[in-house]
Amino acid sequence: MDFDFNEQQNMLKTMARDFLVNECPKARVRELETDQKGYDPEMWAKMVELGWLGLIFPEQYNGTGADFLDLVVLMEEMGRNITPGPFFSTVAMCSIPILKFGTAAQKAKYLTPIADGKSIWSLALTEKSGRFEAADITAHAEFDGKNYILNGEKWFVPYAHIADHLLVLCRTEKAGSPESGLTLFVVKAAGRGVKMELIPTIAGDGQCRVRFKNVKAARSDTIGKKGDGWKVISYMAQRATVLKCAEVAGACQAVLEMTQAYAKDRTQFDKPIGSFMAIQHKLVDMLTDVEGLQYLVHYAAWMLSTGAKADLYISQAKAKANDVYQRVCVDGIKIHGAIGFTMDHDIGCYFRRVKSSEFMLGDTDLHLEKIAAGIGL
Amino acid sequence: MDFKFGEKEERLRVEIRAFARAELSGHSVISGLEEEGRDEDWEFTMQISRKLSQKGWLTMAWPKEYGGQGASPFEQLVYIDEASYQGIPGTTMGVSGIGWVGQSLMLFGSEEQRKKYIPSIAAGEPDGVWCTAYSEPNAGSDFANIQTKAIKTGDEYILNGQKIWTSCAHRARWCWIAVRTDPGAQKKQHGISLLILDMKSPGITIKPIINFAGVHIFNELFFDNVKVPVTNLVGTENRGWYHLMQSLAFERHSIAPQFGGMSRKILEAIVKYTREIRYNGTTLAKDPVVRHKLAERALELETLKMFSYEITWKMSKGEIPIYEAARNKAYCDLVMQRLATTGSEIIGAYSQVDMWSKWAKVMGNVTRLYMMFPGISIAGGTDEVQKNIVGQFKLGLPRAY
Repeated sequence: MDFDFNEQQNMLKTMARDFLVNECPKARVRELETDQKGYDPEMWAKMVELGWLGLIFPEQYNGTGADFLDLVVLMEEMGRNITPGPFFSTVAMCSIPILKFGTAAQKAKYLTPIADGKSIWSLALTEKSGRFEAADITAHAEFDGKNYILNGEKWFVPYAHIADHLLVLCRTEKAGSPESGLTLFVVKAAGRGVKMELIPTIAGDGQCRVRFKNVKAARSDTIGKKGDGWKVISYMAQRATVLKCAEVAGACQAVLEMTQAYAKDRTQFDKPIGSFMAIQHKLVDMLTDVEGLQYLVHYAAWMLSTGAKADLYISQAKAKANDVYQRVCVDGIKIHGAIGFTMDHDIGCYFRRVKSSEFMLGDTDLHLEKIAAGIGL
Repeated sequence: MDFKFGEKEERLRVEIRAFARAELSGHSVISGLEEEGRDEDWEFTMQISRKLSQKGWLTMAWPKEYGGQGASPFEQLVYIDEASYQGIPGTTMGVSGIGWVGQSLMLFGSEEQRKKYIPSIAAGEPDGVWCTAYSEPNAGSDFANIQTKAIKTGDEYILNGQKIWTSCAHRARWCWIAVRTDPGAQKKQHGISLLILDMKSPGITIKPIINFAGVHIFNELFFDNVKVPVTNLVGTENRGWYHLMQSLAFERHSIAPQFGGMSRKILEAIVKYTREIRYNGTTLAKDPVVRHKLAERALELETLKMFSYEITWKMSKGEIPIYEAARNKAYCDLVMQRLATTGSEIIGAYSQVDMWSKWAKVMGNVTRLYMMFPGISIAGGTDEVQKNIVGQFKLGLPRAY
């Protein structure tokens, strides 16, 4: 048993931390919240140079050939810095399904430009309900003898407004269970009939409503076979959920550290407030939450990497991440006092991102239900 | 990152399961915190302790020369976790001897003391049963405030004073006791010493304290000119405080696997119960509120499991975990409280039925946990004390008191 990262992972972690601290200070994070693009193309280009976009791709697609656990390490650092941009949607939500289910031609066509920073992707999955449920998918695609014709509306699609390609989950057959009859299509974001609107979110994090009106997709433009859409999504969700949790764990660690530093520094009643037991115990609860989350995330990631059945552990990590991110931010803000409630303070940047993680790829209720099933209920 | 156990550990788990099947059949369930209560339970407990010793498990982490197996921290983790899960009594023999006396003697006891006291602990004999006398009426969380005096007169210490909350004193052959040997010391932490007290010495009065579960665990101890040979001093005179800090660390690392194993078993029993009970035309297991609550409890237990893995891993690297043990204790208390509360909500009105009654649900285990968790959360340092330790040692916060 070994809780440590290996040497390569530690190097990646150090490199990522140094890079992000320099390239993406919180002032920049705040600027990007109101920026039209929502990400920094210069910083993106540097991330490409560092090999982050193709981190887990084989070398033939200009990747680095690193493994999933390395990506977990990187996501923790990106989360620590709440790095804005379409990294998660491009790598976790779109590249992972292409890597697993794409044909050789699709991989060559799509992965290389991603690794080279020439193509941004997003996944159009969630619909009006805002939930991660197969039954809620009503967007549909009909074959007209030549092409599939896509119609429907997707919500909370991350960075769709700057994406080059979208993966769109559509119902291609009405009969059967909610999970059957779904197909995942590749669509050009600038294509005819695709309409984007930015949703004004509390984090200013580039989530969009995307409407599809008679959008054409060729028969070959599916990731996975026709009708296998939910299988592809589930495969993606296992990995992307762990990566999202890693991002949250990094963010929580940062919130803990800034609060700990503040409690030592801030003086009231002639003493640092960190010497008061009420503050100490809150901080200790935060630490216990953050460490517990990190270990659950690492455990789920490791289980997944061994090929073992990991669903229960993934759901545990996500339910924990949802719970801990919110509580750590709230307690952190309370310890900071009024300054923590300002736009200028960093802690609010984290707090405003809690909901975006919480409802992505399954809310707490959904994952608790999966845990319940996993323990024999 | 690698969270796999070795083959040796997996094999050990299987052996412990087989041992539990062979030895526990027919005997009622008793948890680690009540085994010294009823006479029949204590007798059974000691029988099992001897068998555990014969298996080489009782003190497996100790070096071979002291009756151990030199087992790794991971083997010990598996042993504690699985034995607790299986409800095997006798793994702690009243806690002190196995928990910290043996290891403390190895660390700072004399050669003579090691030879005299360690073998009977490792053998699981009644002579190896110890109690620990730290707390006093005015020395609870403020443990350095102890007042029981031991004044050296020739080659003896003369003990006078009172101890309280002394678990297992009524079963113990020996007592591991903290006393004040220098009443004039400048700081209250100075002037404390550790002694080995023969419980058969004249002048000791033991008064039982019955806890609200009706179990006799605690005692009050009164000392009236009790003579203790100076050779029973452990370590250096007046340096007892520092010895104690080390000794307390031995106690804390096993808390997460011990109560984690027990709680996992109780959660499984509750899950099984919800699948059997029919209500509103379906089973309780189908009720969304029940599912939600039990999933949360499972998630907490999984977190506790990771904490016990982490502390074990750190020990395996030769580190001495301090804050981790305190964090685990406080978190463990929270986990047990929530499990007991959820469990009682699920079995409903039956959660108030006496745990030994024929009408008790889930073999009385939910009620048992409910009755025991408040005490467990105080034993070995309250949650508040544990959080102070974490704040000071891990977060580097200034002392609050």
